[in-house]
Amino acid sequence: MSLHVEVKNLVFSYGSETVLDGVSLSLAQGDFIGIIGPNGSGKSTLLKNMAAVLTPDSGEIIIDGKALAHWKRRNLARRMGVVGQGGGAGFNFTVEEMVAMGRYPYLDRFGSFKPADRQAVERAMHLTGCYHLRQREIFSLSGGERQRAILARALAQETPCLLLDEPTSFLDLGYQVELLELLQSLNQREKLTIIVVMHDLNLASRYCRKLFLLYRGQIYAGGSPEEVLTREHILEVYRTEVLIEPHPLDEKPQVIPVAAAPAAGSENSFKKRVHLIGGGGSATPLMKELFVKGLSLSAGVLSVGDSDWVTARRLGLRMVEESPFSPISPLRHRQNLELIGDAGAVMLAPLYIGPGNLPNVEAALFALEQGMPLFVIDNPPAASRDFAGGGGVTLYRRLHSRGALFQNELDVDAIIRLLLPASSPFPQS
Amino acid sequence: MRGKRLLVLSILPLLAAVALVVAVGIGAVAVPPLEVAKIIGGFLRGTLSQPSIPAETIILQVRLPRILLGFLIGASLSLAGTAFQGLLQNPLADPYTIGVSSGAAVGATAALLLIPEASSGFIIPLCGFAGALLALFIVYKLGSVGGRLPVVTVLLAGVVVSSFLSAVISLGMLLAGEQMRNIFFWLAGGLGQRGWGYLALITPYFIVGLLVLLYLARDLNLILLGEEDALSLGVEVERTKRWILVAASLITAGAVSVSGLIGFVGLIVPHAMRIIIGPDHRYLFPAALFGGGIFLVATDTFARTVIAPAEIPVGIVTAFLGAPFFVYLLRRHREKYRF
Repeated sequence: MSLHVEVKNLVFSYGSETVLDGVSLSLAQGDFIGIIGPNGSGKSTLLKNMAAVLTPDSGEIIIDGKALAHWKRRNLARRMGVVGQGGGAGFNFTVEEMVAMGRYPYLDRFGSFKPADRQAVERAMHLTGCYHLRQREIFSLSGGERQRAILARALAQETPCLLLDEPTSFLDLGYQVELLELLQSLNQREKLTIIVVMHDLNLASRYCRKLFLLYRGQIYAGGSPEEVLTREHILEVYRTEVLIEPHPLDEKPQVIPVAAAPAAGSENSFKKRVHLIGGGGSATPLMKELFVKGLSLSAGVLSVGDSDWVTARRLGLRMVEESPFSPISPLRHRQNLELIGDAGAVMLAPLYIGPGNLPNVEAALFALEQGMPLFVIDNPPAASRDFAGGGGVTLYRRLHSRGALFQNELDVDAIIRLLLPASSPFPQS
Repeated sequence: MRGKRLLVLSILPLLAAVALVVAVGIGAVAVPPLEVAKIIGGFLRGTLSQPSIPAETIILQVRLPRILLGFLIGASLSLAGTAFQGLLQNPLADPYTIGVSSGAAVGATAALLLIPEASSGFIIPLCGFAGALLALFIVYKLGSVGGRLPVVTVLLAGVVVSSFLSAVISLGMLLAGEQMRNIFFWLAGGLGQRGWGYLALITPYFIVGLLVLLYLARDLNLILLGEEDALSLGVEVERTKRWILVAASLITAGAVSVSGLIGFVGLIVPHAMRIIIGPDHRYLFPAALFGGGIFLVATDTFARTVIAPAEIPVGIVTAFLGAPFFVYLLRRHREKYRF
């Protein structure tokens, strides 16, 4: 059973509100596709158009070479199973009776169940783990059990393709993963084509092979999870600052929300970057706090593998990297000075000072000499961190005498005041 | 459930036959059931063309048509109620919800008011039927949106049309003068003084409507799971809804135009049958047919004998006996019954 679905330039509106505005996509047998997007982006509407529940204003959907509008519902129901978001009075049908309704497209009007029908129903109930519920009435089931029963009905249709509309939205984590693993195994073992609308980006990333990100009725991005789930895409579409981390097991991108994106307009005020000098984890708390405030950051020179380096990489900062356990080379030092050169302010974290990273403190001095504001977090005091034979303390004294702003702890507001233009309409205190 | 369904569906016709025979025997002139069975048997075989003894005349000319009509009306209301509850996905729906019955009432009221000889012949039922069809047409037009029949708009259109027509009837009664009593009695619903002709008048609508409902029973089951789900399972949802609406309305129109507004049967019997036999309309429709028929035959027998020779309008009795019975059923099954 092979199936080919092609959506061409689909436009759909509810009244005067255009929900889908030219969506095109195609999928082939065996695909596992996730449709993601913010609320109101048209995900469910797209799925309902594909399921022939809604009729598009223009554009078309072609299934196996034939326009959807020309399919008889009965025949379509043998090609595509749909798990919707539910509804309907329900009545008190038992699970088995409801799953058996999945055989409707195969039955004659007054015909009775044949062994093949009964087999399909039982198999579907076994697969979804609701065989033991078969005598129970639908209304007495929990949300998770009901969802499985509805999936069983769709499986009883024995279609090569399944459309699911947010099947995990009312399930707890356990049921969500269970359901998606079931879909995954159906996809892998039976080559079932699966199209699923999902809210949870991380689960979508883990289980779908291909994602379509819908935004304002159009496909904003499509492709592998790595291609679609990027910081930039999510910032634009969900207006949320996020971190993208690979899943520890399969490296699939996982989205970690950081903060709501700043309103348009205030963004411009932070064009100037803060450059952080640190190492050994000293700059990590500073990086996190400044990042969350929406400041643009860079860092250097950090040793590869060092915990500050890990943080900077996670946050996607521009940085100068040095090989692990090596002293800072002249090349890296110069690159660090370049980054400092076009920053708006520099901050020196309370790093441990040794002969190898003395150039980092020198870089801070360089910033000061350039007339750049320099914040020095001197807690614990430099004397207790100096393992460079007094060289560090000497440099700190010079920083102090040349007007660096010494602080015991990070004062974000002071930095923001400094970075904002004096006439800023967005006071940030 | 399967076994229980078959048992119930085989017992109900037997029960109906017993109810008919017993009911025919009861009255001012009591006839023992065996005698009744013999007379009816002879009548059916055609060996009894000319009634010879008084019992035969009473049974064949008076009681049998009335009781069969009662059965048919009860079956009609119950069947239509089941269909409307399913179609509108609303447990409060009954054959009168969408205003078809009010249309019939307006037709009948108009006939009583405007046509002096209305009480004779079939003028009232024909006018009632015409009124019902007109009301159905209006509700259908008001309720359809872009070629579809959304449940909510149909329901609202029905309630609006129904209220409007009720006002028309009240006005008619106010202007009726001496006819007011007749109108009142017609509205209260009754089966008295109806001969074989009435039976012949509405049987065709009943049969056509019944066949349509049975034909679409499985589709209606799927629609109850949600219209979108039904669509994706291959059901032609709009076509199904349209035909069920028309079929149930025809059945209602027939019943109401002959017997007036007999309440309660179309609301309670469907629920009672759903409790007993489950929600599958392939079984629920036949069960409702027999259940409604038996119920109305029983209540009508009570209505015409309890203060004989006077009669209580049967609509009063249906509510009087039906409500406690339904409360009993509901309490016994409240843990399990969900609409």
